[in-house]
Amino acid sequence: MNLYQPNLVRIDEIIEETADTRTLKLSFQDPEIAEGFDFKAGQFGEYSVFGAGECTFCIASSPTRKGYIEASFKSVGKVTQAMRRLNVGDTMGFRGPYGNHFPIDEMKGKNVVFIAGGIGLAPVRCVIWNTLDLRDQFKDLTIIYGARSVSDLVYKRELQEWGNRSDVKLYQCVDPGGETPDWTGDVCFVPALVEKAAPAPQDSYAVVCGPPIVISLTLPLLEKMGFAPERIYTTLENRMKCGLGKCGRCNVGPVYVCKDGPVFTSAQLKTLPPEY
Amino acid sequence: MRRMLSRTDLDALVRDLLGAGTRVIAPVRRKVQGREFVEYAPVQNPEEIALDGSQPVRPLKQVVFPPTETLFNYKQDKGLVQIQEAPTTFSDTLVIGARPCDAAALEIVDRVMDWDYHDEFWFGHRQATTVVAVACTDSDESCFCTAVGLSPESTRGADWLLIPAGSSFEVRVVTPKGEALLESNKSRCPESDVPEAGKASSAVEEKVRANLAMNPAKLQEWLGAHFEHPLWQKIALRCHGCGACAFVCPTCHCFDIVDELEGVGRGARRRNWDACQPALFTLHGSGHNPRKDQSARFRQRVMHKFSIYPSRFGEILCTGCGRCIRVCAAGMDLIAILAEIGQNAEEAGSTL
Repeated sequence: MNLYQPNLVRIDEIIEETADTRTLKLSFQDPEIAEGFDFKAGQFGEYSVFGAGECTFCIASSPTRKGYIEASFKSVGKVTQAMRRLNVGDTMGFRGPYGNHFPIDEMKGKNVVFIAGGIGLAPVRCVIWNTLDLRDQFKDLTIIYGARSVSDLVYKRELQEWGNRSDVKLYQCVDPGGETPDWTGDVCFVPALVEKAAPAPQDSYAVVCGPPIVISLTLPLLEKMGFAPERIYTTLENRMKCGLGKCGRCNVGPVYVCKDGPVFTSAQLKTLPPEY
Repeated sequence: MRRMLSRTDLDALVRDLLGAGTRVIAPVRRKVQGREFVEYAPVQNPEEIALDGSQPVRPLKQVVFPPTETLFNYKQDKGLVQIQEAPTTFSDTLVIGARPCDAAALEIVDRVMDWDYHDEFWFGHRQATTVVAVACTDSDESCFCTAVGLSPESTRGADWLLIPAGSSFEVRVVTPKGEALLESNKSRCPESDVPEAGKASSAVEEKVRANLAMNPAKLQEWLGAHFEHPLWQKIALRCHGCGACAFVCPTCHCFDIVDELEGVGRGARRRNWDACQPALFTLHGSGHNPRKDQSARFRQRVMHKFSIYPSRFGEILCTGCGRCIRVCAAGMDLIAILAEIGQNAEEAGSTL
């Protein structure tokens, strides 16, 4: 079996997140591969629909949950639209895990602040569940999440669950105009919500993911608030094909996002040209 | 003592290998609509081989990195999928008459293809392929191999190097694979005590040197520090972003992975050559494009070859073959571009 040949996975469950976003719960067909499969929070894979092609997503489920992986995606292109047409029981391909990961071990004993915008919650959600499943090993956990509108919020059931838990603080917002009459969260952009939540920078790590505008505004804001650039983590979602450092697509300056990333610190991003 | 091989014996060697079922690829002359050119192609008869012709229009990379390559086939029935593996071992191939710049490219691209993950397709082809290079007896105004550390007599990436000497060739055996080729052809390559008739290709080398002189280390340093510079806008103004430069480049190895249907419920996943110059290359699903204009894309091409790859793998991702210059419909001239960047690097160096 060569590098580019995927393992077959079965769609066990489909969760409709929003009008255009879905989560697929996938399990490996080969029991030996299912048994041996392991990954770290932040790693990604190449998911494929046979006949449509491959697409790159992070693994959105936590490595603490064994026996399956989840992918959350928005239907925007050829492959994601094909993924949207699939049903429970259908077969897909998966290659991975690839890339580096968030420093879960280093974060132990510290506060972690999760900041996400829109579908950017997918890679962050993997780390959220990873820390929640090992809850006693971390100090304060804070989740700050925003989307364009109430209908664009993903993982709604989990947001509710996090909101109800006393061992994690949840702040939510939607962009002005995106609220509904019964919306109880804030109406503002993600960076403003970060300012409002004012997470303490001491002894803290931040995990940030969202559209380019959220990243470019939030990272400097966190630094201004006192977070060390080496402890602000984000994940870059450059277009990829191979995931293996061969196809030459994901370069940001000297960096191959698929091999050196996708997880980078704010300190590392400062040394890179803004091509992400 | 030098080993010599006459053209007649070379033809016999080729005939032997063809008889044994080896695929032989060599420069052959073509004429299309009155235009003559040379290209690497499979030969059936040694007389087709043109060792004194001009540079083949397309590089040798297609032999080890086909423009399209099947990664696997699949069958699909009601949501159930069966994968049929694609072979990663290939039949024996002998390349006769590789240009030194094309042979060197293979060794340079080996680095990335073996970077942590071993690309079975690339190395499958590499292993099956024996490369006999021939030293250049001619060059044109687009050649600049000497500026990137190679020469018309470079042995890099070759198993044998043939150096034209009259109607014969001097045989330089470079690798163990080359040793094996010599072992089965020893009687054809007698030792000769004829003294070396002066460096046959030194005149060619002089000619190439006159095209471009540069300091790769200084260039790399300047590039590393000048991601933003007005030069990039100026250089890229005439670029159409067609990517032809990448397709004729012996070292460009970017590829796309696509599924192609071959009937109801069956198809293949393939990798196809791709190029960093069209905007689609980096376009995100969201519509965001990290390389937003042609200057950013052309900068990537220069950076990847002369800064990123050297800093990552210790090799310049360019062998100075000059094909990108010859092929460009817009007249982008990498020699002029490198000279201009080099001049900037010199000036920056003197003010430090």
